[in-house]
Amino acid sequence: MTSRRELSLTYAILGVFSLIAVLPIVGIVFTAVQDQGELAAFGTFQGVHLDNFADAWRDGNFGSYLRSSAIVTVSVVAISVLLSILAGYAFGLMRFRGAQVLFYVFLLGLMVPTEAMIVPLYYDFRDLGLTDTYWALILPQIGTSVAFGTFWMRAYFRTVPRSLVEAARLDGASSWFTLWRVLLPLARPAVLTMTVLLFMWTWNEFLLALVMVTDEGLRTAPLGLSFFQGRNQTNLTLLAAGAVIVATPVVVLYVFLQRHFIRGMLSGAVKG
Amino acid sequence: MAAVRFTGVDKRYGDVVAVRGLSLDIADGEFMVLVGPSGSGKTTALRMLAGLESISGGEIAIGERVVNRIAPRERDIAMVFQDYALYPQMSVFDNLAFGLRRRKVAKDEIERRVRGAADLLDIGAYLDRKPGQLSGGQAQRVALGRALVRQPQVFLMDEPLSNLDAQLRTQTRGEIKRVQQEVRTTTVYVTHDQVEAMTMGDRIAVMNDGVLEQVGTPEELYERPANRFVAGFIGSPAMSFFDAAASGEDGGLRLRGEGIDLRLPGLPPLSGELSVGVRPEAARLWNGGGHGLAGPLRGGVTYVEALGRETFVGVDVGGARLALFQEGRIALTPGDVVDFGLVPEGLRFFSPADGAAIAVPSAERTS
Repeated sequence: MTSRRELSLTYAILGVFSLIAVLPIVGIVFTAVQDQGELAAFGTFQGVHLDNFADAWRDGNFGSYLRSSAIVTVSVVAISVLLSILAGYAFGLMRFRGAQVLFYVFLLGLMVPTEAMIVPLYYDFRDLGLTDTYWALILPQIGTSVAFGTFWMRAYFRTVPRSLVEAARLDGASSWFTLWRVLLPLARPAVLTMTVLLFMWTWNEFLLALVMVTDEGLRTAPLGLSFFQGRNQTNLTLLAAGAVIVATPVVVLYVFLQRHFIRGMLSGAVKG
Repeated sequence: MAAVRFTGVDKRYGDVVAVRGLSLDIADGEFMVLVGPSGSGKTTALRMLAGLESISGGEIAIGERVVNRIAPRERDIAMVFQDYALYPQMSVFDNLAFGLRRRKVAKDEIERRVRGAADLLDIGAYLDRKPGQLSGGQAQRVALGRALVRQPQVFLMDEPLSNLDAQLRTQTRGEIKRVQQEVRTTTVYVTHDQVEAMTMGDRIAVMNDGVLEQVGTPEELYERPANRFVAGFIGSPAMSFFDAAASGEDGGLRLRGEGIDLRLPGLPPLSGELSVGVRPEAARLWNGGGHGLAGPLRGGVTYVEALGRETFVGVDVGGARLALFQEGRIALTPGDVVDFGLVPEGLRFFSPADGAAIAVPSAERTS
């Protein structure tokens, strides 16, 4: 039992940190709906102006950016999730020669930051004639996402009782059938959490898009936002509206999947 | 249904030998219990039979077919796991039907078999529930049902009762035995609990340290243990032991040890150092002697275990600890000194060197 004093202290600390986390977001949202003419101080509020979003959308060409982002993100996440489930299943529940070494190779993909590989990657893609295409954004991100996803799904599959897999084997199920019909329905929180994380990282990827594409039509939302920022140094309101537009898809996805997301994050941490 | 034959089966994990030279014949329709302490290799043996572990050496056959290199699902066996391993997202019905659907059994046949098993195990009322909504005992019966509907050649059971509470365990023990007698499917049952082994097995295989120590009916193991390990493992409370020097005297046997001097006229003369095994029921309070008791011996009471209908008394004799059996209750407390005697034909003799039983020709026994 925690005492009342301890409890209030806990809430006070949590409250302070929540405030630190939430305040900038609230500030951005407030700024985004302010009157464009009033360059008011950060945080003040004079009526809601939702037309700022329409202005930002038009001026910033966000329709095109969001479309590019959607194409890239959906492809990367869909393919990565599929491959990660398969690889994680193999590493987590199957015994095969070289599993250990191969897994470390996967981990390498997790450890090397984009900044470290972006230059050679650019030259490779240029040689292949793939720069300035969606492939230049999709393929490298599948690589890094699968590294994380395999690590994540392997950790999940390791927590599955072995006897469940063995029971399915004795019952006559193939490995493929066992994965899709026996294990995956149980893995939903883990898979959805991975989906949210990969979606967020892919959506927010900036450096790769900056280096790989120059065609305006291929630019993704974070890149577009950055260019938009360059053009609107003074119009804070419009800039904030643009930021809100770019951030919305991730927030929406998170809100839809948050129940699973939290369950996935906690699985293994607390006994269900 | 089929017989099962282990021939010189080994299992090695690197340098660790889990099972060594296991040879065991299990008859068609037999209920065979593999029993032993943790790490004795019993579960490994079962898992090799299931095909969940590879076989490092030797041969396992189900019926006429050597199964060393045959996939688990083609061995036509069904297994009940310690944690039941029910598919959590499927209803009880789907759990039972899973293996049949995988084997492309016709729909109405699946329905028929699942209902049949549900009736037999009294789980008909839960067919629509998910495993998470079942009690431990119900889940256990569903696991049993899942094996049953398959109508396999062999049932494998890996400590299926160890997650149940004591009362339910006793009840389910009887149920498994009843079901097995009804369907007469060859069953290999692994447990570390010798009471389960004794009450359920047609025959029992006692394993220790990866080696098969003895195979026999419950009575054989209890009455004629092959060695000290089996003698100490089977029976509750366990057989107690003391060391003694044996010599022949007056056509009988004389045992002398620390605080012990016994003349056993009915027994054949043995000689040399012996390890003597005494079951609790072969050690009784002296109470003026008679009743065919040899003695008296004198020892200090170390514990009193009163179970109501019977009482076990621990006695220290010259450093050896013996358990005494007494019907009803007795007014003794630790620290008391008691006189007791041993039933000569209840004694078992083992070589102190390797623990092997020293046979006493039964014709010369008084019993």
